[in-house]
Amino acid sequence: MEKTYNAFSLFLCYSKITIKSWFQYKVDACMRSLAVFFREATGVIVIYLTMLTFDEINGWNTNELLLLFSFVYVTYGILIVFFTGLRDFEFLVNTGQFDRFLLRPRGALFQVIASNSDWFAAIGHGALGICLFIFSANNVQIVWNFWNIIYCISSIIGGVFIQAAIFLVVASLSFFFIKTGSIRELLYWNTRKFANYPISIFPKFVKIFMTYIIPFAFVNYFPATYLLDKDSGEFLGKTFCYITPVIGIVMFGAAYLFWNYSLKRYKSTGN
Amino acid sequence: MKNIKEKIIEVKNLKKNFKISKRMNGLPGHIANLFKPKYEVKEAVKGIDFEIYEGECVGFIGANGAGKSTTIKMLSGILYPDSGCINVMGFEPHKDRKKYVANIGVVFGQKSQLSWDLPVIDSFELLKNIYKIPSDVYKKNLDEFMELLDMSNFINQPVRQLSLGQRMRADIAASLLHSPKLVFFDEPTIGLDVVAKEKIREFVRYMNKEKKVTFIFTTHDMQDIAKTCERIIIIDKGSKMYDGSVKELVDKYGGSVKLAIEIKDVLVDEEYIKLLKQSLENQFIDCEFTIEDKKNNIVEIMFENKTLSSVQVTTFLAEKFTLKDFRISDIDIEEIVRKIYEGGITL
Repeated sequence: MEKTYNAFSLFLCYSKITIKSWFQYKVDACMRSLAVFFREATGVIVIYLTMLTFDEINGWNTNELLLLFSFVYVTYGILIVFFTGLRDFEFLVNTGQFDRFLLRPRGALFQVIASNSDWFAAIGHGALGICLFIFSANNVQIVWNFWNIIYCISSIIGGVFIQAAIFLVVASLSFFFIKTGSIRELLYWNTRKFANYPISIFPKFVKIFMTYIIPFAFVNYFPATYLLDKDSGEFLGKTFCYITPVIGIVMFGAAYLFWNYSLKRYKSTGN
Repeated sequence: MKNIKEKIIEVKNLKKNFKISKRMNGLPGHIANLFKPKYEVKEAVKGIDFEIYEGECVGFIGANGAGKSTTIKMLSGILYPDSGCINVMGFEPHKDRKKYVANIGVVFGQKSQLSWDLPVIDSFELLKNIYKIPSDVYKKNLDEFMELLDMSNFINQPVRQLSLGQRMRADIAASLLHSPKLVFFDEPTIGLDVVAKEKIREFVRYMNKEKKVTFIFTTHDMQDIAKTCERIIIIDKGSKMYDGSVKELVDKYGGSVKLAIEIKDVLVDEEYIKLLKQSLENQFIDCEFTIEDKKNNIVEIMFENKTLSSVQVTTFLAEKFTLKDFRISDIDIEEIVRKIYEGGITL
């Protein structure tokens, strides 16, 4: 109990520092929210405009596609409130700042996570995600009941952990390779581009890749098919629609073990 | 004296190797390296032993790349040693990291631990939470450091606006807020001016003498060592070269005199230096002279003054050569260490 309290209090303390740091440059911070919002929104608008000429892709209409998008943005918005430290971890290793975390009597991973947070980008991503979600959920007429709401929340949390696990694995690889920008590009950003479309339109190997290797399909595709009451394709019927939180926690746990293993290989830089 | 005090650090046969990828030159070499990486093992630390007792202030010196920082990083638990054992206050640093680091303070001169954009005091508040420092201890330490390090006029300023000297003082205070018994200082005076350096030395002396804090101090400035440390450990190419008191080192290797002479009217060149050396050696048989051309017609002559007095040498030189001026000084620790690095003295 005391441990949880201490961890929570330290998390708040670190957050206070990050927010204060952001507010040192107020204009830049607010512009960051706007810039992120519009940058991401353009991508969505392009797809929206394209969809005006086609009625649907593989049984998915425009509003359903936007729901698919909304999961990506909402989860990413939450992700960078809590896990920016993992996303930008290679920088800590590269400059040797990670040493400092090891010199403090708290968990190294906890400090990495707590000490960084991309608040203003999160507002941009989150606002876009919420707009898309409200807009599309309204148009596709999802029936909201207690279980649906619980389902949505748990899937979003699960989706955040799946992406956090990918970042944690890439972060751990920084101990071996120092620079990991391209690996992150490959494992995360490229996969995420596929996730902008229902995976049922892709050839089999992409489906397998998105489901079993980098399971991004659990972040948006499976939760969306459940909410829209669609057939998820040739995968194990409806089961896959329910296990996003499980996948998230299992992946994060496995990634944590890999982190612990890699930490022993840490070679500090400089001086 | 030593035996009464408690051992705080014990290091035995400590080793650390780094694998460095060895690339051939040019693009073909880089491509070949992708498929068949070749590694070169660099022995950063090759079997060091030492013990440090409570309340000591030990200077840890060595040329760049000698293995000082690697050793400090192993002692502070950042790096895993390859072999050998380290015992600090009953802990094995890399194993019980979390419990262990609560008892030590570390200052890296090159890497600040303060938040760049925020006032110093904000970083201190964060550290209070991280180390779970009780409020009364925190306040007492903070007040004390504010005075000793003269921080009151910049404590509320963002770190990015501080001078290097102010930042370093704040960094030092940050690392000592939790009252550690053992403190590692890795080049804390790097790039500072004389006044700032002196302030830091004074602080170290005070904490060491009054608060009984044990210090391990790496630096390239021998004045730091001379003014704060009683004992030094010299490391070169990963091995320990010397471990003992500063005084002994100076007595043993510093029994020489440095005589700087300025020559008048003649241009000093290699020929001239040779001639000078020849005539000195002819005059004082069995004595060794090291002669260095310091440019601007100044020549430095070093010799042991056990058998030979500087008066004799100066008189001789004044008769034979056209001297404009001369200055005699003892060889100080700086000179000795420089010679050790250059291989002039083998310990």
